[in-house]
Amino acid sequence: MSANALLGGEVVYYAAGGRWSPHLADAFVARTEAEAESLEAARAAAEAQGAVVEPELAPVGTDAGGRLVPSHYREKIRALGPTVRTDLGPQAAGENAHVSL
Amino acid sequence: MYRYDEFDAAVVRDRVAQFREQVQRRLDGSLTEEEFTPLRLMNGLYLQLHAYMLRIAVPYGTLVSRQLRQLAMIADKYDRGYGHFTTRQNLQLNWPKLAEVPDLLDDLADVEMHCIQTSGNCIRNVTADHFAGVAADEVEDPRPTAELIRQWSTLHPEFSFLPRKFKIAVTGAARDRAAVAVHDIGLRLVRNDDGEIGYKVLVGGGLGRTPMIGKIIRDFLPKDELLAYLEAIMRVYNLEGRRDNKYKARIKILVHEIGTDAFIARVEAEYAKLDGASVNADPAELARIAAYFAPPEYESLPAVSEGFEAAKARDPDFARFAATNLFPHKVPGYTAITVSVKPIGAPPGDATSDQMRALADLAELYSADELRITHVQNVVLPHVKLDDVHALWSALVEAGLETPNAGLITDIIACPGMDYCKLATARSIPIAQAIATRFADAERQALIGELGIKISGCINACGHHHVGAIGILGLDKAGVENYQITLGGDPGEQASLGQRLGPGIDAEAVPEAIERIVDTYLDVRAGAAETFIETVRRVGLDPFKPALQPREAQLEAA
Repeated sequence: MSANALLGGEVVYYAAGGRWSPHLADAFVARTEAEAESLEAARAAAEAQGAVVEPELAPVGTDAGGRLVPSHYREKIRALGPTVRTDLGPQAAGENAHVSL
Repeated sequence: MYRYDEFDAAVVRDRVAQFREQVQRRLDGSLTEEEFTPLRLMNGLYLQLHAYMLRIAVPYGTLVSRQLRQLAMIADKYDRGYGHFTTRQNLQLNWPKLAEVPDLLDDLADVEMHCIQTSGNCIRNVTADHFAGVAADEVEDPRPTAELIRQWSTLHPEFSFLPRKFKIAVTGAARDRAAVAVHDIGLRLVRNDDGEIGYKVLVGGGLGRTPMIGKIIRDFLPKDELLAYLEAIMRVYNLEGRRDNKYKARIKILVHEIGTDAFIARVEAEYAKLDGASVNADPAELARIAAYFAPPEYESLPAVSEGFEAAKARDPDFARFAATNLFPHKVPGYTAITVSVKPIGAPPGDATSDQMRALADLAELYSADELRITHVQNVVLPHVKLDDVHALWSALVEAGLETPNAGLITDIIACPGMDYCKLATARSIPIAQAIATRFADAERQALIGELGIKISGCINACGHHHVGAIGILGLDKAGVENYQITLGGDPGEQASLGQRLGPGIDAEAVPEAIERIVDTYLDVRAGAAETFIETVRRVGLDPFKPALQPREAQLEAA
């Protein structure tokens, strides 16, 4: 599950323990039906609570090294930043370099 | 240039103070996101993929130097040192922080600017011909009309909760450079047989998922009746426009569903009931507004500048720039210059704060302190002496703003697309970059001539793809970016919507397909004077269809 931070608008991920992290690697991944249901419940709760903006669930996979990779190009772009300005967004700090479009 | 009176200034400051309080209440939890969203949108603040985005209104695209300098300062202080000029002649910042936006708005108010009605279901920033007031083919400057509509529509209580957003454009020239036929209301200033000036009124044009060309509902509306007539249109729309389905809520759907004649009958009936005198601006107020747009003090100059001609003969790069980026001015010895914000390979319409400051300095030095933002995402310096063009061009070279491509194939309109926009289904900017790079050769561009490519990253059509001579629409096809190509769109006085050339293609295939479309045009055009759009109108789409097939299939067919 990802959202945008209320103050800065940057992409954040829902991590174990219910905190929000700027790192994709911290994202909690639902791997079973029951976990998916609990993640959806957490999404609804986050939306109601309003500490972040527009929480959404998105499918992810893992690469050969076991690192998380968003399945859809939209989430890949969110994980990196604008593909036309590689000096901006998480990619500028070397974040998620294993994700490619 | 219109200057705020004390009421304008107070309205804007009050709104900033109100928004400051609203942000505070969102941050302390007393407003939910659901409650806050419409409030921030009313102040032009969106949430996009990576950050908030702020849309700053540039009424009818006109700016003075100190405003552009302030925008540059704001881009540095609150954002990442650049901004994006949009197809509504506005400026968007891509990285503002919510808590800082109220301060940003105060800094904007210092130069009589704001973000009011740049979003939401209200009357949006009124756009106009970017050569307003200087075009040789003009009946009258459209900006006093646009300013009148701005004043009338700003915070208009009856029209603040329309079924959907509402866009108005005005042109005063024979050649339509403001795309008025694809607006909810388009106004053309015209002269009747008695020599009086009035408006031809078009309603129900628009792009988006259901593109339509506006219908003429009045051939000649006397100038002093404008506001009452607009009010009649808005009332019919406000009452009868659909609110049950946001995709059918624009006025174009209403006009289409009930038919133009029935729509005209309703507007005229409403108009007959209105007390026009209580709505229309009185002549003194019209004159007061018009006075702000009086032309600068022009010098009396010969129509031909010897210095300019000599510089062209001396310097081929300058000659190329002069051939493409100059526009005929109605005053002898002057020209209007299009500064392309489309350097080859850069995101269309993105300007750095340094470039903004350079443009502000050049406007102050050479263009009576004035600039225009165009809906084609470029900047115009409207009042330049031919004698000064070479010096100005040299300064543009320094700032990296001398690209000689105005109106040519690399002068591409592109929305931000999925690199920034939450609604996008595919990226637009990389497609524009790839096409511009492919056609970088200035000589080849000149050979191809006038050709507008317009790219949208989703069906909402912010990149105006429906009215591109070549239109490109980016979609998501089973998790892969896919692009549909249309030909034959025209935003001008012969407005037409592009027709789909064939099935969508992958991103990598787009530049090659455009290349083949252009090659076909060069093959079949009836001489160099026939533009791309004229050729498409003459020969239809069939000769262009093989362009979408893979190269091998083409060779076999040959």
